[in-house]
Amino acid sequence: MLSWLIKRLLMLVPVFLAVSVVIFSILHFIPGDPIDNLLKIGSSPEARAEMEARYGLDRPLPVQYGIWLSNVLQGDLGTAIVARRPVADLIAQALPHSLRLGGLALLFSTVVGVTLGVVAALSRDRWPDRAIMGGVLVGSTMPSFWLGLILILIFSVSLGWFPVSGARGWQSLVLPVLTIGLGGTALVARITRVSMIEASGRDFVTLLHAKGLSPLRIQLRHVLRHALIPVVTILALRIGWILGGAVTVEVVFARPGLGTLLIKSLAQHDYPVVQACLLMLAMAVMLGTLMGDILQALMDPRVRAAMT
Amino acid sequence: MTQLFRKTLLSASVSLAALIAAQAATAQEAVFVMATNEVGAPTYNPIKATMLNTATGLLFDRLVSQAADLSYHPWLAESWEEAPDGMAWTFKLKQGVTFHNGEPFNAETVKAWIELFKTTEGENGYMAEAIASAEVVDEYTVKFVMSRPEPNLLYNLSSTFMGVVEPKSFAALGDNYGVTEVYGTGPFKLESFAIGQETVLVRNEGYTWGPEVAANHGPAKVERLTFREIPEDSTAFLELKTGGVDFLLSVPADLMGEVQKEANLAVLTMPGQDVWYMPINVTKAPFDDIRVREAAAKAINQEEILASVFGGVGAVADTFLISALPESHVPDGAKIHYDPARSNALLDEAGWAMGEGGVRMKDGQPLKVTLWTQSDSIFRRLTEVVQAQLKAVGIEAEITTFDSSTIRDQYKTGEQQLAVRSYNWDNADIVDWFFGGDRLGYPNVSMFNDPKAEELRAAAMTGARNMDERIANFTAYHEYVLTQFPMAPIYQPVQAMAYNTDRIALPEKIDAPAFGAAAFLDLQVKE
Repeated sequence: MLSWLIKRLLMLVPVFLAVSVVIFSILHFIPGDPIDNLLKIGSSPEARAEMEARYGLDRPLPVQYGIWLSNVLQGDLGTAIVARRPVADLIAQALPHSLRLGGLALLFSTVVGVTLGVVAALSRDRWPDRAIMGGVLVGSTMPSFWLGLILILIFSVSLGWFPVSGARGWQSLVLPVLTIGLGGTALVARITRVSMIEASGRDFVTLLHAKGLSPLRIQLRHVLRHALIPVVTILALRIGWILGGAVTVEVVFARPGLGTLLIKSLAQHDYPVVQACLLMLAMAVMLGTLMGDILQALMDPRVRAAMT
Repeated sequence: MTQLFRKTLLSASVSLAALIAAQAATAQEAVFVMATNEVGAPTYNPIKATMLNTATGLLFDRLVSQAADLSYHPWLAESWEEAPDGMAWTFKLKQGVTFHNGEPFNAETVKAWIELFKTTEGENGYMAEAIASAEVVDEYTVKFVMSRPEPNLLYNLSSTFMGVVEPKSFAALGDNYGVTEVYGTGPFKLESFAIGQETVLVRNEGYTWGPEVAANHGPAKVERLTFREIPEDSTAFLELKTGGVDFLLSVPADLMGEVQKEANLAVLTMPGQDVWYMPINVTKAPFDDIRVREAAAKAINQEEILASVFGGVGAVADTFLISALPESHVPDGAKIHYDPARSNALLDEAGWAMGEGGVRMKDGQPLKVTLWTQSDSIFRRLTEVVQAQLKAVGIEAEITTFDSSTIRDQYKTGEQQLAVRSYNWDNADIVDWFFGGDRLGYPNVSMFNDPKAEELRAAAMTGARNMDERIANFTAYHEYVLTQFPMAPIYQPVQAMAYNTDRIALPEKIDAPAFGAAAFLDLQVKE
């Protein structure tokens, strides 16, 4: 198990390097640069050249990359060119908001999604199944931007239960969590249902029935455990998406977060911030995948056996 | 179980009571939503920042204030005098003014502050560029020795970028100045600032030195101001509608109707500082022919655009400058107005004869041009109307949209023919910025480089010894540029704001060009 884990971790190194090259180079291929956002009316070409030199933007790209990578590896994410602050500060301000929102949304979609999936699988082809799957279809096709506004209209404007926007107190988290969570719920419910139905047809289930166990007990204790393996993999993969993909929701609800920081810095060509954000998100995806693999191993004796 | 239930109920009612109490205690507090174009300002450091928001103007006072008619009035300076040759300015300072950290304001601090523009790494040095040095005459008199006459000095001194910072804490705090702490002499002090999220200001209780143009010279009537940053306009409007906020510092044209439908909401408008226009690239055929440029410019029906795109809010633009500026007052003949008959006649004269399908032809070539704009929805809508208006005189324009962050680099290629864009500035030197021969591509999208214009430009920028001369020189420069048709003026918006009339009482008159310190000093929260 340990040697497997070390092997997996070592495999992340080339992936990390490849990702860092891609992140660094694509940014510099976008037309425009951050200096445009700093220069003001009356600036001369000399002022521009001087500023490019100050931020090292006048050096060849491979050299810029080398400097950046060695700084990142030493834990120095650099200073934002347009925002003029340490990048680490900006990330430290945004990340807790993203983690709180993403974590709660993930929790919501797991609990509600698995429950709905189980209920649907147990009542396969009867009305609860049809109702749940119908609702899931609607939920997964609604754009989050639109869903967010609808939730605001219902729960803030009409009912007055929750604030329209902002990041003050738990009340302000409810609607954004629902907005992101509902999309994930649909996905989780569908996968849970399908893999429960698939697992129910396995030989071990027939055997358990033959042993005389109660059908509900078989479903919840044995089939569900089996069916959760793909669900865990999907959830682990969603971690990166939830951290960075919440941009539209953050904008609608005027909340800070990694997604907002990324988009704003991208528009200003603030390279160090964009690079750091993308790196964080790539790391989240890589670690999420690794975590999914580990959890899968812990849950599936066959995978565990293959590892040793 | 019942005990648990009771406990929950109890704690819920306690927190509810606390919530109600908290709301009662915040009666003298008002919540503002920052204008959409000010969202994301990363610092309150006027010396370094390239973008400053409305709250900055409440933290820092300026030596000079500006009235609605753009005339200059005392603020931290009681009076001033310019040497006849324009090479020196002497300012008498107000006495008894202190910074938020208790430091006194006097000639020494003004001298140290001016030096910050020379020594601090930052791009705002040009604000004080014409000041060679600041000299202390006595404790409350300071003299600026000029490197050249700068009639525009009072404008610079009234700008938020020349808000007077407290030099000692500025030096001590370094990059944290303006982010974690900030000290000015303004009517409000900084309590907290979260970038892109929220700024909380509290009243400066000892403030008595408000600008002359304000009715109340201090302290402010409201104790506490919260400025929230909400990037999405519809969210901001719903916050206002549900009472979550009291005041929106910007309202887009398409939400004005919604605001007016609500009984307790009102719209407040102030003169705008934007001009929307269509640059014409003078180097690209067919626009290297001045007749074709004039024809395209006079094909633009500004009245129709004002009514159909902007719902009649704002005003048409017929010069390159906002009409509040004296330099916009050029002779009527130089103003650019919709004149389809003239457009058609000019195109005929230039050899472009009306062809099939309403597109003009010359030597077998159709009159087809490109029309660039940025992807924001209001630009797309306006550009489509401009396209239709050009078509009406036989010019077929093909629209290309670019992302707002990359369009500048596209302009630098010089490949544009026509474009639709806007700028925000309230000084005549914007003519120099967009039509100066050394800035071709961007900002000089029109690629305009004309020897006579360059002569007039030099006279306007650095040749004037006093304000009257500067106005005369800039008017002449502006007028000449207009007669060369490197652009067509389209529209001047107003600054539209919205507020809750149950909560906010506005002063009868706001004698300032923008909703700033003077307005905030007079503003009241209804009990």
